[in-house]
Amino acid sequence: MKYNPVTKEILDELKSILGEKNVFADEEKMEAYSHDETDAKVYGHMPEVVVTPVSTEQVAEVVKLANREMIPVTPRGAGSGLSGGAIPIYGGILLSVEKMNKVVELDYANMLFVAESGIITNEVNELVKEKGLFFAGYPMSLETCYLGGNIAENAGGGKAIKYGVTGRHIMGVELVTPTGEIVELGGKLAKDVTGYDLKQLIVGSEGTLGIVTKATVKLTGLPTAKSNLLVLFKTPKDAIDVVPEIMAGGLIPTGIEFMDRLSVQTACEYLNETLPYEDCGAMLLIEMDGTDQDEVELDAEKIGDMCMENRAIEVYVADNYTTQERIWSVRRNIAEAFKVTSPVQVIEDIVVPISAIPDLIPELEKISKKYDVQVPCYGHAGDGNIHAHLVKNPDSTMEHWHEIEPKALRELYAATNKLGGKISGEHGIGLKRKVYMKELISPVELELMKAIKRAWDPNNIMNPGKIFDLEDR
Amino acid sequence: MNIIIPIKQVPETSNVKMDKEKGTMIRDGVQTVINPLDLYALETGIQLKEKFGGKITVISMGPPSATKALKEAIAMGCDDAVLLSDKKFAGSDTWATSYTISQSIKEMGDYDLIIAGERATDGDTGQVGPGIAAWLDLPLATYVSKIEKVDETELVVERLVEEGYQKLQMPMPALLTVVKEISHPRLPTLRGKKKARVSEIPIFTAEKMNLKPESLGLNGSPTKVVKIDFPTVTRGGTVVKVEGETGVEEAVDKLLDFLKRKELI
Repeated sequence: MKYNPVTKEILDELKSILGEKNVFADEEKMEAYSHDETDAKVYGHMPEVVVTPVSTEQVAEVVKLANREMIPVTPRGAGSGLSGGAIPIYGGILLSVEKMNKVVELDYANMLFVAESGIITNEVNELVKEKGLFFAGYPMSLETCYLGGNIAENAGGGKAIKYGVTGRHIMGVELVTPTGEIVELGGKLAKDVTGYDLKQLIVGSEGTLGIVTKATVKLTGLPTAKSNLLVLFKTPKDAIDVVPEIMAGGLIPTGIEFMDRLSVQTACEYLNETLPYEDCGAMLLIEMDGTDQDEVELDAEKIGDMCMENRAIEVYVADNYTTQERIWSVRRNIAEAFKVTSPVQVIEDIVVPISAIPDLIPELEKISKKYDVQVPCYGHAGDGNIHAHLVKNPDSTMEHWHEIEPKALRELYAATNKLGGKISGEHGIGLKRKVYMKELISPVELELMKAIKRAWDPNNIMNPGKIFDLEDR
Repeated sequence: MNIIIPIKQVPETSNVKMDKEKGTMIRDGVQTVINPLDLYALETGIQLKEKFGGKITVISMGPPSATKALKEAIAMGCDDAVLLSDKKFAGSDTWATSYTISQSIKEMGDYDLIIAGERATDGDTGQVGPGIAAWLDLPLATYVSKIEKVDETELVVERLVEEGYQKLQMPMPALLTVVKEISHPRLPTLRGKKKARVSEIPIFTAEKMNLKPESLGLNGSPTKVVKIDFPTVTRGGTVVKVEGETGVEEAVDKLLDFLKRKELI
């Protein structure tokens, strides 16, 4: 794909649309916009110009200009992505929604809110908390990420079993299309089959089909009571085997998080925490929520009993903030802890049918042995979305790592595929996984995706080179 | 070995809001938990019981809702609990509290060791543990960070003091107040929680313990709260603002000047 450079004239035109202070092109300032949470050395790329529009109309004007001049546009939220989706790999215009961060409407009568896409998701929750409501579709990185990014990636997170992923809560979006048109998709309606459900096509489209400028989002009653169980098992298989039992039992937990021993041990050492992991091969962290503390605790006990009947070694109970924080901080710090032991790693978020997780574990062990990498395994067991890191052996060379990383990843993805799984459950394909997706996806499905992309974005200027490369056949 | 552990139920302090006018904490909607520093006393007691056998009794003085903290202690591995609850106890300072708790311990009879937390995170005095030892005329070691040796009649402990450690040999029964360094508290188990659910927790009232009425509650407390004052924050900090196109360089220069003046760089 041949794109045109951002010339002095283009810069001037951008400034006339957006004003001086919303356009900048100095390297130092742009550096922060050249990468996301993936390894900047591997995936990073500088934009030619960064723009920070303040209105939908400005976004539309910028996109029209880019479409006319054949300049790529990369939309960007908070930059907390894990797939390189917001990296401007062809340079061009990086469009950050950071200044479009207002709540447009709090509509309690319809249990929803309308906000611009640059709002920090957690800020919405702070606002609606006093009404006893919350936005239930937020991911784990809730204190930093933007609503627009959540929608673009169809983010998941630790509460997805009970509340579903972001898409389930998105009722409508205002979109600037790749040709610069402004369109409303969906709205405040609980039901709507008036034509194709295009808003759901936008959810998870990784910014390749347009830029979401506003969203209409469903609110949910805020649970006021919570109980957590930390359940120890002899083997990962024992732990995972319980999950379908729980899910079939009728009591739906908010989350069932799986942590293998390596993950728990590394996080505990990092936090100076002393959970008794010595005799166990894996743990489950199960959260129940509701509105009545006694009721929630009784439900949690029933699930605890179910675990004890299914080969759990011990069940610990955390009914208050102090104990809950203790066990959740272990889960939340796993990724950070591995960065300390070995900073070079890839974070994968493969997803398999829940019943297939036990069969996945031995495959991970095989990869770990074969390539001499640590493969800590943890994540959302309740929905089959497992975070398997490949962590470089600190004693090996970078050359060796670069040689084995794609091989190990291919084996991981092949194993996932064989079990009926997919290579990403919530982090997205972006830049990082497009080569691998192409190898595993059905050619028919891929061609359908490309046809949609061509129809929406005839000049291929909207976040090109993400999910798939349009031009390769 | 029979052990008694006095604990306190305190507000969970991660998100405390103050009523600026009254100078008191807003307790509405605030969760209560076992005083975090008491967890180390509980863990120490449970470890001793696991090693030497015996029984642990937990005591708390407070409103009926303090039963929750006592049940959590049972869920961690303690055996029995007693709640000292009576309207007459309301407003007790550390003197009246330690008097009341010490009398209940006398009622309970035989014990080898009393273990308390270093202090409570709400009152922050660290006086109730030593107060109980005084009322019961027991040998006392505060800030204990290690129990080195225990036998039938005596124990050797290490105290954390400002200059380092102090080793004490003391006869039993005795009272220890312990610091964080002594142990890592365990989490309550499901089995423990079920046991706690069915445990009956006896309530000791003033009448039942035959206490001196003039030593109880607000009236029996020599400490009088005259005024509650908020400390004024004297460190203001300097904010270096970035303004205009060349602002960053100027701001950095200002910051460097400041640090140089303070001889920090």
